[in-house]
Amino acid sequence: MNGYGGYAIRMSGVSLKTSHFQLGPLHLEVPAGYVTAIVGPNSSGKSTMFRLMLDLMKPDEGSIEVLGRKIGSGKQVDLLKRVGYLPEEPYRHDNSIRGMDKADFHKFWYPGWDVNYYRELLRVFEVDHSIRLGKMSKGMRRKFDLALALAHHPDLLLLDEPSSGLDPIAWRAMIELLHRYMESGDRTILIATHIVEEVKRLADFIVFMVNGRVLGMYEKDELLTGWHQYHFPGALEHWRGMLADMPGLAGLEDAGGVVRAVTSSAREAEAWLAARELAPAGRKSMELDDILAALVEREKLRRLQGMKGAVQ
Amino acid sequence: MWMSIQLNEYSAEPLYHQIEVQLRALIVSGQLGEGAMLPSIREMAQHLKCSAITIRRVYQDLEAEGLIVTRQGTGTFVAKVDPEERSRHRLEAVISAMREAVAAGMRVQCSDEEMRELFETVLREAKENRSPPAQTGSADNGKEDEG
Repeated sequence: MNGYGGYAIRMSGVSLKTSHFQLGPLHLEVPAGYVTAIVGPNSSGKSTMFRLMLDLMKPDEGSIEVLGRKIGSGKQVDLLKRVGYLPEEPYRHDNSIRGMDKADFHKFWYPGWDVNYYRELLRVFEVDHSIRLGKMSKGMRRKFDLALALAHHPDLLLLDEPSSGLDPIAWRAMIELLHRYMESGDRTILIATHIVEEVKRLADFIVFMVNGRVLGMYEKDELLTGWHQYHFPGALEHWRGMLADMPGLAGLEDAGGVVRAVTSSAREAEAWLAARELAPAGRKSMELDDILAALVEREKLRRLQGMKGAVQ
Repeated sequence: MWMSIQLNEYSAEPLYHQIEVQLRALIVSGQLGEGAMLPSIREMAQHLKCSAITIRRVYQDLEAEGLIVTRQGTGTFVAKVDPEERSRHRLEAVISAMREAVAAGMRVQCSDEEMRELFETVLREAKENRSPPAQTGSADNGKEDEG
């Protein structure tokens, strides 16, 4: 159980500016022994963040530590042997070689390569590794690359949109394999995804990322039980004043004859409502994408207010 | 047996608390007997579709209460529960479930009288429908299998 407690990845003050994109400054600590999901819209900087962690790109500023080793200070071969990485897009440059040749290459570089496990993965995923990588269907290529990322029993798995191209059966197999991977308790997964079901099934922590910035990191179960929405019959004007001080209020809108109030602290909100004898007509927990949307909205507001403040 | 744990997604009650109450009930009622092995943290998390953090918290709490023990490298097991402890814990899950029911009633503005009536009706129905023989001390196994 020694995995619980430390951090597998630490980023502090990491920023990178390109002609059309500003990443960071990022502060992020990924706990060892858990699955952390990075959730956010496309082009929010998730893939760039993975590349920075693997020293495939250099940040303008800030420091990155992976499995206790500082990135960017000389060769990282020993470190990379302990990492499994599934990039968002397969590498095109090895399209002409067969799967088994690529596997031989991995066998050479990764001392932890487990040929039996590799074969089991191919069997579970129904992948024929005698096919040239460029000839594989999108789904098969994904499954093959996933098998490669897992077969050396890495301590840290970096998965960038792993399920893109997978059919539902392969998807289930992947979830099952990742659960098994985590079973020993001292391994870590960082997974970028926008599939809500994937986050629900896998994640322990959720990091919301939008426009190159981390909006926040949350414990999944706390987040999902914390965010609720309530419906109140009547006009928005009537409720606006009444609910202004409701704990965690994160949204109040007219939803066609009823008023919808969103809170990020359901327990406190419910106690607060009960104390005022305000009974909502309906209540619902919220899905991750709704929560993300609410957080993005809140962030926009905050930024607007920040700009106003700067002007004054 | 731990498979009978059911979560209410719509409750604002934290998941770890929901799980803890039910697992404790299974142990103190003797449905999970001394020495019974519990699944690993990951396995339980996967089954309940919640996070390993939540299950870890549950195991830690129950371990602190002396209801379970974790042996390094082998797993987590139900400890010996003394009878006094058992009787103290026995009603906790029931009280918590009643609170939930009362809260649900208050949300739709039931009167006290209506609630009492409902309680009597539900109790009567449960007794009529119960398939013999009655299980002892099972406060919360409304549905047996399913997941």
